[in-house]
Parts: sequence; C-alpha cells; structure tokens
Amino acid sequence: MLPSVCRGVWRAAVHTLRTSRGAPPCRLLSTCDGVPAGLADADTIFALSSGHGRCGVAVVRVSGPSSATALRRMAGLRCSLPPPRAALLRSITDPQGKEVLDRGLVIWFPAPHSFTGEDSVEFHIHGGTAVITAVLQALGSVPGMRPADAGEFTRRAFQAGKLGLTEVEGLGDLIHAETEAQRRQALRQMSGELGHLYQDWSHKLKRCLAHVEAFIDFSEDELIEDGVLNQVDRSVCNLQAEMERHLKDERKGERLRSGVQVVIAGATNAGKSSLLNKLCQRPAAIVSPIAGTTRDVVETALDIGGFPVLLSDTAGLRDSPDLVEREGVRRALERVEQADLTLVVVDCAHVPADAQQAAAFLQGHLRSVLPTVKQRETAFPADRCLLVLNKTDLLPEDERRTLDEELRQVSGLPPVCLISCHTNEGLQDFLTLLHVRVKTLCGDPLSGAPTLTQARHRAHLQQCVAALAQYKHYRNIDLALAAEGVRLALTSLGRITGRVGAEEILDIIFKDFCIGK
Amino acid sequence: MLSKKPPLLQSFLSLVSRRVSHLAQQQYDVIVVGGGHAGTEAAAAAARVGAETLLVTQKINTVGALSCNPSLGGVGKGHLVKEVDALDGLCGRAGDWAGIHFSILNRSKGPAVWGPRAQLDRQRYREFIQSELLSTPGLTVLEGSVEELLVTEPNPEEPGRHRVTGIRLANGSHPISASSVVLTTGTFLSGSLFMGQTTSPGGRIGDAPSSAGLSHTLRERLGLRIGRLRTGTPPRIVKDSVDLSLADLHPPDSHPTPFSFLNTRTRCKPEEQLPCYLTRTNAGVERVVRESLHLNHHIQEDIKGPRYCPSIESRVLRFPGRRHQVWLEPEGVTSDLLYPQGLSMTMPPDIQLRLIREIPAMHRAEIHTPGYGVQYDFVCPTQLSPALQVKSTQGLFLAGQINGTTGYEEAAAQGLWAGVNAARWARAMPPVALSRTESYIGVLIDDLVSRGVTEPYRMFTSRAEFRTYLRPDNADLRLTLKGFEEVGCVSSLRYQEAVRVRDSLQDALAALQALAQSSSKWRKKLPDIRMSENKCTILSGVELLQHNVSFEMLASAFPECLSPYIEFSQRLNIEAVYNLHCDKQKKEMERIQKEENMSLPQDIDYFSLPVSLSQEVREILDRVRPSTLGSAARLHGITPAAVVNLLGYVVHTGQRERIRHRNQPDQKEEKEEEHSARNASLPQ
Repeated sequence: MLPSVCRGVWRAAVHTLRTSRGAPPCRLLSTCDGVPAGLADADTIFALSSGHGRCGVAVVRVSGPSSATALRRMAGLRCSLPPPRAALLRSITDPQGKEVLDRGLVIWFPAPHSFTGEDSVEFHIHGGTAVITAVLQALGSVPGMRPADAGEFTRRAFQAGKLGLTEVEGLGDLIHAETEAQRRQALRQMSGELGHLYQDWSHKLKRCLAHVEAFIDFSEDELIEDGVLNQVDRSVCNLQAEMERHLKDERKGERLRSGVQVVIAGATNAGKSSLLNKLCQRPAAIVSPIAGTTRDVVETALDIGGFPVLLSDTAGLRDSPDLVEREGVRRALERVEQADLTLVVVDCAHVPADAQQAAAFLQGHLRSVLPTVKQRETAFPADRCLLVLNKTDLLPEDERRTLDEELRQVSGLPPVCLISCHTNEGLQDFLTLLHVRVKTLCGDPLSGAPTLTQARHRAHLQQCVAALAQYKHYRNIDLALAAEGVRLALTSLGRITGRVGAEEILDIIFKDFCIGK
Repeated sequence: MLSKKPPLLQSFLSLVSRRVSHLAQQQYDVIVVGGGHAGTEAAAAAARVGAETLLVTQKINTVGALSCNPSLGGVGKGHLVKEVDALDGLCGRAGDWAGIHFSILNRSKGPAVWGPRAQLDRQRYREFIQSELLSTPGLTVLEGSVEELLVTEPNPEEPGRHRVTGIRLANGSHPISASSVVLTTGTFLSGSLFMGQTTSPGGRIGDAPSSAGLSHTLRERLGLRIGRLRTGTPPRIVKDSVDLSLADLHPPDSHPTPFSFLNTRTRCKPEEQLPCYLTRTNAGVERVVRESLHLNHHIQEDIKGPRYCPSIESRVLRFPGRRHQVWLEPEGVTSDLLYPQGLSMTMPPDIQLRLIREIPAMHRAEIHTPGYGVQYDFVCPTQLSPALQVKSTQGLFLAGQINGTTGYEEAAAQGLWAGVNAARWARAMPPVALSRTESYIGVLIDDLVSRGVTEPYRMFTSRAEFRTYLRPDNADLRLTLKGFEEVGCVSSLRYQEAVRVRDSLQDALAALQALAQSSSKWRKKLPDIRMSENKCTILSGVELLQHNVSFEMLASAFPECLSPYIEFSQRLNIEAVYNLHCDKQKKEMERIQKEENMSLPQDIDYFSLPVSLSQEVREILDRVRPSTLGSAARLHGITPAAVVNLLGYVVHTGQRERIRHRNQPDQKEEKEEEHSARNASLPQ
C-alpha cells in the first residue's frame, strides 16, 4: 500500500502499525477533510451584550475574523455586506435549519472602526428568552465561533488600544463581577445532575490523558503494557459517543432553573420560616417555638415585583448532636454559598443594646453564616446580603427606635431591616428593599443567564468531541498528535469543569504506574 | 567537531596546574563553583558570552564526571540535550564523542516525542568536557574548595538586598573577586551519604564533603529558604561475574543518530556499539528488601525522594508483587563494570549482594562499588528569577541540583542559562529569559521559579504545553538564531549553519507549495500512491507530505526543483505535518509571550499596592514574587481579575518610567510621552 521508496524509520514504523492493524487505505484527502473540523484557530466570539431579564430589545455582539461569515449566514446575505455602521432590517435565520428565528436590525462594523478594533457585528433582536437562546445557539453553530469568556470583549478592545487606563482599571472589577457570578452559577449547576455528568467525563478524560502521557514518557524504559492504549481507545470512543448523544438531546434534557436564588439563613429560632411564610403568603414551612424545627431546605418559587425568585428556607445554624439536623445545617451552608442573595435573620432580642457592641455582634454573626466571607476576609458583599432583625414586637418601642437609629450610623454592615413577622411591622419597607435588590440582580448580565451558559457548554462540548476525533485520526499515525487531541479535549471540557494542570496528570501517572529507573 | 581529539588527560592536568600556578589574577567577571554538568556548561557559556571566567572545583580530575548513570538523553531529557546543543553548549557534542550505544526512544510515537539517547563511556565523556573547557578562551579552571561566599551591600540602582563580590577558598588564601558567582554544588551542599545504618558527610562517594561555610552563608547571611531532598545510586557490578545469556539483549540503533546539530556522525562506529541487557526483579528481591528494612536508615527518613527514579526499596514497597525492570548498561568501551539501572539501593553492602544475587542473571555477581543514598540541601527555587539569579542577591546564580532538579540534562540546561546570565550581569547587560513557548529549558526554568519543587524535578514531555512545536528536530531553529542574535552564547560558525538550514527549509517548503496540481496529475506522476477519486481537487506538495507521501518520493518525481533539499528530507516530512498543528497554537503562544514580556518589579510591596487585590492574592504574590505577569497568571490562586489589575499597574508604572526619562535632560520629547504625562499626573 505504501510506495517502495523508503521514507525514514518513522514512516516505516507507521507502515508496520498500519499493516498490523488491517491496513486502512492510504487515502489522499483535502486538508479540511484530513483534520477534524471545529479546531480551526480563527477565534470569533459572541455574547449577549444587553442585560438579562425583561427587555424589549436584546443586543448580541460578535467580534473576530468570522464576523462577516456569521453576518452573511444569519442575515441571509449572499455576497455583499451592508454598508459599514448602518442599521439594516433583516430576517435572522438559523444557518443550519434555515428557519427564521426573528426579524431585527443588523449592524456591520468592519475593523478597525469597532469597539474591539476587530470586525464586529451587532444583532438587535427581540428580548424574549426563546429568541435570544435560539440566536446564540445558531451563532455557536457557525464554524470558528465560540461564546466569549468573561470580559473578553473589553480585553480585546484594550489589546487593540481602544481603551484608556481608567477603563482598564474598571475591567478588573468587571471581570471580577462576571467570574463571581459565573462561579456561583457554576457551583449551582455542578451540584446538580449535569455537574456530575461533566465531572465524570472530566475524570475519565484525565485518566485517558494520563495513560497516553505515561505511554509517551515512560514506556521505553518501564513496563507499561500496550493494553493501556487499547483501554484509552475504548474510553475515548465511549466518551465521544456519550457527548454526541448529550449534545443531540440537550435541548429536551435538563432545563436549568431560572430565577434569582434567595436564601434565608440564620441561627435557630430566629424566625426564618415565619419570614418565608410571610413572603409567600401561605404556610409553606412549619413554624414552631422549638429551635431546630426546619431541618431540610424548603424551596418556594415566588414572583417579586415581576421577577422570578426561588426562595429557600434553611435549617437554623447551630452545633447539634442530632445527625439529621447536622446534615440540615450542612445543606443550609451549601445553599448560602450558592445564593445570589442571602437574608440573614437575627432575633433582635439577642442584639446587645450598646451600638458598638451590637455592630460587633452582628458582624460576628454574619461571619458565622456566610462561609465565603469568613474564608476570603473581604468586606461584606453589601449587594448580596440583607440583615433582617426579626421579632421587633418583643422590644419596647423606645428601644426599638434607638436600635434602628444606631444601626443606621454603623458602617461595615449590609442594609438592616427591623421587622416583626408577628405584627407585620417594617415588612413593607423590607419588601421594597428586597424588590430593588432582586431587580438589580436580574439586570446583572450574568446572574440569571441560563441561555448563555447553555450556549457556552454546548460550544465547549462540541470542541471536546472534535478534539477526540483528532485522537482517533492520529492514533496509529502519530501518538504525540493523538495525545494533543486528548489535551485539547480536556482543555475544552476544563472550561466548564475547571482547568487541569500538568501536575495533576503526573499525579495520576505515578499513582497508576510504577515508574522508575 | 568530532575530528578534534581531546588531549591526553595528563597533559591537560599539567596545563591546568600551570595556569593555576600563574594565577596572578584575583579578579574575574564570573566564578563558577562546581564542575558537574551544570558547572561545566555554566563556565563554558559564560566564557562564550565574553566573560573572564573561573571554574572552581574540588578535584579537577572529576570535572565532567558522570556521577550516576552512564547515559545521556531520553524522552524529554533528549529534548533538553538538543536545546543545550542548539545554544552551543557542551553536552550534545560530548555525548556524540563518548556515546557507545545510540538509540532514538519512542520511534513509533511521533517526532515530537522522539527521545535521542546514548549510553556513554564515562572516561571519554570526562575527557571531552575537560578538553573543551581547556580550549575555551577566557576560561580558567582552579582546584580548591570554596569556604565562603563574599557578600556586601547591594547596588542601590538594582533590586536586591545583597550583592555578591566573590569567594574565599578553604586553604585560607586571599579572596577572589567577581561580579557574578554561579553555584552548582550538586548534592554537596550539606550532603550526607547513607548506606545501611551508617551515615557520613559528603556529596559523592570517594569525594571530600564540601565546607559548611557555603551552606551557612546561604542560610544565615542571605536568609534563603532551604529544603532537603534525597536521591540514590545503584551498586556497580563486575561485568564478568554476570551471566548475560540469562538477560534479554537490547541492541542499539544500527545507524547512530548524533545529538549535536553540528555532527553528521558519532565517534563510535555503528558496528563498535555495545548492547544493553534487560532483566527483571522477582519475589526473592522483594523478600530481601522487606527483611532488611530495619537496617536501612535512608529509606526510613522522611525526606522527599523522586517518584520517578525510586530506589528498589520504594518500588517494591509501593508496587509489591510485580517484576520490575532492571537494565544492565555498559559503563564504557574498556570498563569491566555494568550499571544496573533500576536497582538504586541503600541497604548494607552484604545485603545488597544478597539482593542482586536473587536475580538469575546475577546469581554469581560481584559488586565493585555498593549503592548508596544521598541527602542534600537545595534552595527553594521560587527565590530565583527566570535568569536563575537569586532575587535577593545581585550577581548570585544557582543551577542544577541545588535548585531541586535531578538529572544531567536538567542540570546542563540550567547551567548554560545561569552561565549566560551571570556573564551578562558581569558585563552590565540586561538578563535574558527563555519562554515556555519556545523551549523545554524555558518550561524547566519557569516551573522551577514560579512553582517550586516538592520532589526532585525531572523533565517530561507532558510538562510542555506546546509539545508539538518544541521538538528535538527543530531546536536549532528555535534557539540557535536567538542564541546568536539576542543572547550572544552561540558561535558564528553554528549560527551560519542554522541560517543555512532555516533558509533551505523555507525554500523547500515554498517549492513544495508551488507544486500544486490536480490529484489526477499527481496520480500520473506517482502511480504507487492511492488517492481519493475526486479528480478536480488541487493538492500541493506540502499537502501530500501531510498524507504519508515522503519527500524522497516527491524528490524522485520532481528532481529538478526538489533534489537540492534532499538532505533535509526527514525534517521536511516532519515540518509539513506539524506546521498544521503549530499554527493553531500560535495565538495562545503569542498571548503567553505578551504576558511574559511584562515584567513585575521585584521590589513591589504587594500589601500596599494601590490596586484592587484580595488579601489572599496579595499573600501569594508576596510569597512567590513572580517576575512577569505571565508567571503570575499561572500561579495557583491568582484570579483573572487580579491579573488584569496587575496589568493595569504594569502599564501605569511603565508610563511613569518613561516620564522619568523624559524629565532628564538631553531626552527627545515625543507626543506619546506628553500623553502619558497627563495620565501619570493623576493621583495614585
């Protein structure tokens, strides 16, 4: 099958391998056939640039060399591009299914006259979730396109010299906010079924890579059986098939819960369940004067001022010898970690009368409830937390007023609301504040963006599948290039589950093999 | 290079002693302490860069000695040898001179991970290194033991708390001063030897321990963080006492491939090469290890040893019930010893003998020198800059095992780079760094200085992110050109050769690209190959190479345009396939390089830096003190937001620097600087 002309030892080795494995014909293919698609280096990014939540018009931004392609395909433009920086009304179609997704404005910004300095396109579409999701997924199907990372548009703009220093300084805060929002969202998803699935894949891929790397780095000196690679072959095949299946039915599959996650937390018997019942105006949770009544998380879906909210009541935080209660406390802390907004409820009878002492007491209390605050030693995330002092009806009128006034003057605390679930005192003010908070959170471009995350996961999984194809393509030709495929696959998956470093791979190698000379 | 015969050892020694006896000079640019793989490369590199260099070693006789295994290269390590050679270092050419068994490991696994390797003749290797050093202009070798490192106040214009000014020898003579000192003390820094239950001070059996003064200076005077590591070496076996018919024969490659880009052949003729033998441990070996554990101090100590080069004791304990491989390697053409790779051990000598005799091929074997363990101090390498200079001490450079690495190749690579930078420091030139995007040396140094070590560090190809680009075959293109143009450690002879190779490869690839025609035409020209049936596809010669057609075949079909490049056939075959993948990685590489070009000042007070960073991030940065934004970004626990905030800081300070220059007289004013002046006048 190979020509008689000798081609160096490497080729000879390939020859042996090929013939020993049933000799696939030496096909000559064009380059794009030979190399698996989806790995092109052109890096064009897209993202929903307007806020989430209810809005009339949503803006989807695209930046990078494939912008023009995306525009042509999505706006049904055969050859010519629209005049630069002029709005054009077009039907926006899915390039694969050819169905019309929406009718909206498209604007073409050729480089360098754009926000990022690169070729850019803006799609101004209707603000419904379904339309946005459809457009984002359609963009993800255009070759060379991927969802933008946190702050990536701004970073590109900076690199193109489009941003001044002040704006760069703002960029750090922006990325921080975005990654924080993503971290919380990721945490939420990773504890769900989808998270387990991704983690399982990541774990399997890590082992595959470790075994290929061990075979590359050590098999010449050490006893590493050839069977190792056959196992990897099987794993890669299975993973690829599983991921493809997952990509196909993902739309029908698990739908991420949307809505702002609000968690009620605090010590036992502070009146957390009463607050939940007040907010949802029905007895969703059992209330009793016995400390530790609520043991599991009680969830209720609510609509606060038109925004979807998922309200969770949690077990009171205390050290308890009761196993069930301890588990409840663990779950409560886990919820707080994942929350967008935490309502820390305190029995106001426990607050010391002196203002300074009261502030110190409340700060200490917040530390014990909010685990992240304790670990990071940062300031209290004032926009992520409300302090609710309950049972004001048990305080004499004048004491209550002094407490209210004094706490207003103390700095270093999140907003404080004095309420009584018993007499409804202060409840209206509290609801107004809660409404403002929820509204802000919904306006946060990422806090409630399941569509964007879905599109992002999809793109990364597609890259992962394509990279696994590279492994199979090169498996019998060049193991270094095959290993590169597994590395790429792990990098793509790592964008969902977290980065995997070389040391982690080496740890698996040394655990699984006896390497030494 | 190979035609040059090293002078006889005897005449070499007399020459050196003559030099030493006329040692009127007490002032050098660079002093290198230690004559192992790191020290010899450092001294030679410093001299190549143009520094007046002194190499101080305990015994001139052991300069260039192979203390442990008689081999060089391998997977990952071979990459390092090729890179050291590409930067005009010694070990590649020494390997070609001393090699007695050449093989390319991983031949079946793709050229990016081929591992050139050779068994060496110990004596020839030493001879070559010694004669090279002797013939290097500007380099003097001195026998002596360093008692003390001379340290003084820092140069206030450079970062650092101390400045090194030279050394004092143990024999009480007057100090020898130098602008830079490179320490390559190997296992000698507070080294102790272990065999059974006996412990004695020293770094290598048969050699005197080094003085405690050096260790004291590093620890107490300079306040460096010091850790402790262990390693070991197997017993040497008398060859005649081994029944080699009971072991598997492993012949070398029939055509030895030289390490050096300058050599087309090795000194050893193909048919003169010696074989290696493979045998395995058995249950008897395991039993002896278990029975003698109580007699084995080294193995009981809680000091970190290498996971990948473990003693037979730890292999048996960690993976019981297995038959571990033992390679029997020749020690030289005339040597009557064998080196049993895989049998590093520290039990008492009588038990060592019992152990090896459990293996059938060695049932009557005699031990020439017993194996032993070594424990030694290393300086936590996060205290070094990417130029391998101790950050707190101006002019002090470290290389080799003192930085927590293991292996000749790792030592040689660091030695070369430390030598280059020591010379540059002495000559008031800015330091140079190698990126992990361009070399394994860069990966090695970056891993060391930004992550540190917890066990002896060895190179693996899996450590390199850009493995498809960092291949052994293209080390010259990656490093030789830069080594001449930017670093100054490469001779013009080697440079010209690299330029010729680069230009020829470019021309050849262009010629191949120009050979574009339809697949039916290709089929007519090359009837032997099968092609897809699509007739109208236009394919270039490069694309044919990507699909298993060899350059030789194309050259025989198109001799007029391709035959001039026939000497590069193998490289072209590789380039054509790999270029495709390297292009994809370009962007990522550019990003890393950009970040690495942004340096973070070493004297920043991270706790008072007026940018938004969490306490946790500040602590990490303060502890590690990364030299560049790139290495900061790779640190565990550094968030993307922190990187951007640091970036803002770097840009800001960069602009302030320019203002300072502008305000000095005789500086040209530029528009851009006026702009930055406005920005800089903002409150900090």
